[in-house]
Amino acid sequence: MLSFLTARQAGLDDPLRLRRAESTRRVLNLELNHDRDVDRIHSNGVNTIDIEVIEGRYMLSGGADGVIVVYDLENNSGKPQYTCKAVCTVGRSSRYVHRFSVETVQWYPHDTGMFVSSSFDKTMKVWDTETLKPAEVFQFEGNVYCHHMSPIARKHSLIAVGTKDQKVQLCDLKSGSRIQVLQGHRGEVLSVRWSPRYEHILATASTDSRVLVWDVRRASGSLFSLDQHNGDKSKASSEAVNTAHNGRVNGLCFTVDGLYLLTTGTDDRMRLWNSANGKNTLVNYGKVSNESRKGLKITVSRSCSPEFVFVPCGSSVAVYTLHTGELVTMLRGHYNNVDCCQFHPDYQELYSGGKDCNILAWVPVVRPPDVEEEGTAAKGGSQATVNPAFEDAWSSDED
Amino acid sequence: MNRKRALISDTFKVNKRRVGNEKQFGAVNNGEAGPLDVKATLQDLMTLFPRKLFNDALPQIVLKHQLYSIHNDRTQVDRQLSDLREQGELLMFQLGFDAEAFGLVFAADYKAKVLAGEEGRGTRGTVDKFLEKVLPSCNDLSFNKDKMLKEFLFTDSEITQLVRSGVLTVRDAGSWWLSIPNSGRFTKYLIQGRKAVLGMVKKSKYNEVLKAELEERQTNSQVKFQIKYHIHDIIGAELVECIPTTSGTLLRCVDY
Repeated sequence: MLSFLTARQAGLDDPLRLRRAESTRRVLNLELNHDRDVDRIHSNGVNTIDIEVIEGRYMLSGGADGVIVVYDLENNSGKPQYTCKAVCTVGRSSRYVHRFSVETVQWYPHDTGMFVSSSFDKTMKVWDTETLKPAEVFQFEGNVYCHHMSPIARKHSLIAVGTKDQKVQLCDLKSGSRIQVLQGHRGEVLSVRWSPRYEHILATASTDSRVLVWDVRRASGSLFSLDQHNGDKSKASSEAVNTAHNGRVNGLCFTVDGLYLLTTGTDDRMRLWNSANGKNTLVNYGKVSNESRKGLKITVSRSCSPEFVFVPCGSSVAVYTLHTGELVTMLRGHYNNVDCCQFHPDYQELYSGGKDCNILAWVPVVRPPDVEEEGTAAKGGSQATVNPAFEDAWSSDED
Repeated sequence: MNRKRALISDTFKVNKRRVGNEKQFGAVNNGEAGPLDVKATLQDLMTLFPRKLFNDALPQIVLKHQLYSIHNDRTQVDRQLSDLREQGELLMFQLGFDAEAFGLVFAADYKAKVLAGEEGRGTRGTVDKFLEKVLPSCNDLSFNKDKMLKEFLFTDSEITQLVRSGVLTVRDAGSWWLSIPNSGRFTKYLIQGRKAVLGMVKKSKYNEVLKAELEERQTNSQVKFQIKYHIHDIIGAELVECIPTTSGTLLRCVDY
């Protein structure tokens, strides 16, 4: 570690290298910390979590009871012991609350003034965070499983919605209407994701075992369908031709650079695809147990040296290395099935929510203090131990 | 003090030279020993296959997932296997009882056994032709009618002869799997034995058994293969969970 610091100081190493090494070390050290807690508001399972991209300070969660909660993740108290408090809630008493379970929530990618939630009550609501009232409500014919807004879009403000219907709907935020329909799936659409690299590329996953990649500017169908055998028709039975999985595909996630796409399916497999040509990279993750009937939310780490993917697996979260398929560790702590997880890129923390109504925060283990420091702390020590990051070097006590 | 051994990323690992070869007790890591050699592992596993049981009529078959129980890095194993298949040394077959169960046979073994089985039979010429023309050039697991007729110029009656001799098995109308003649009994014994060994693990107290202890156990008449063969099979197919303990690897039943 010191060698990285001196190399960075002397300019021998790229600054990115130190950052990556330390991020990776922190991700490998994730564990439950009794100092960090998230307020428990939901009375029924937590289905979805989203952390806003701009500051990384506020987190949204949607539950099976229709309640949506906004939490403040930042620790301003100066003490290491901290509970992430709920800033505001759209609770059961609100007039505008969803009637049934909220399946997906997402912050507006450009600021926290707005967020969008979709639910099994066949609506998708665009909320104003200040007043907690919906600015717009989109009605659909079937349960809405998921929606996603492109995080990089400048030229369009489309929300892709996957419902029980086979058609993927595109709703426009600016005009408030449903402007486009993408036809191609033969089953319910369980997951939709925009590419973080190209603002017009969309990937959708469905119960018909296929994953289709679309360019929304194109009038005719999808660009291509992901094929798990890469065109080798001889590998499996003839029904499995041109399918991404041998069962329902319920999890989709692009890597941060948008070059690869991860999919998980109920055949207990996870596959990594090259998102440019749709080829299966054939990375073997082994058995990734998956019994979810609706979508599963998986997430990838960011700016680490081997990237990691976090998958909810039963009642724990499995951490795999992205490109080699090695199982790094299983994060155990939930009492019931885990439904969603989200990675906080700035602090390398993982938040996961599940049926036990808890949102757990997995925090990198703090380095143990050196032996000399422990000695002086014992001598000096009537003060409560303050995190050295909060101590400043210029104020003096004598004034 | 953090008593847990933390995961360390490769950049921070200090490579210490090991003095001599210390005897490692507990879970032994094969992966760090040296570069992954799939071919050597295949040859080791092939020795577990019981040749006498089938009167030497079958070539030695190893299942692809048995390799996963020995090597940790599945992706590397898959890559090396596809290299060996490209070079023509190894053949892979779809065994039929499970979509993901693939059997591996060395090409030389396969050819020798198939030709030995065809001695004195009328179909020998066609089978010979198939082995010479198709196997070296094509790595697929299955063939469909177009390919057989146009690329390889086999006639319908020749295809029927190949199916009768057991080299091809019907997959659906107009397509066939590549298969091992007389492998029906192999599949039957494998499934039987797998069920019996899994039953042995399930019946144990707490549904778990030390791997070393399971290897020593007496097998009943249902289990026709060596128990080690079945153990590699159930570990690789992830029907049991492998847990490292201080007394060795523990196999615990995975119940869903």
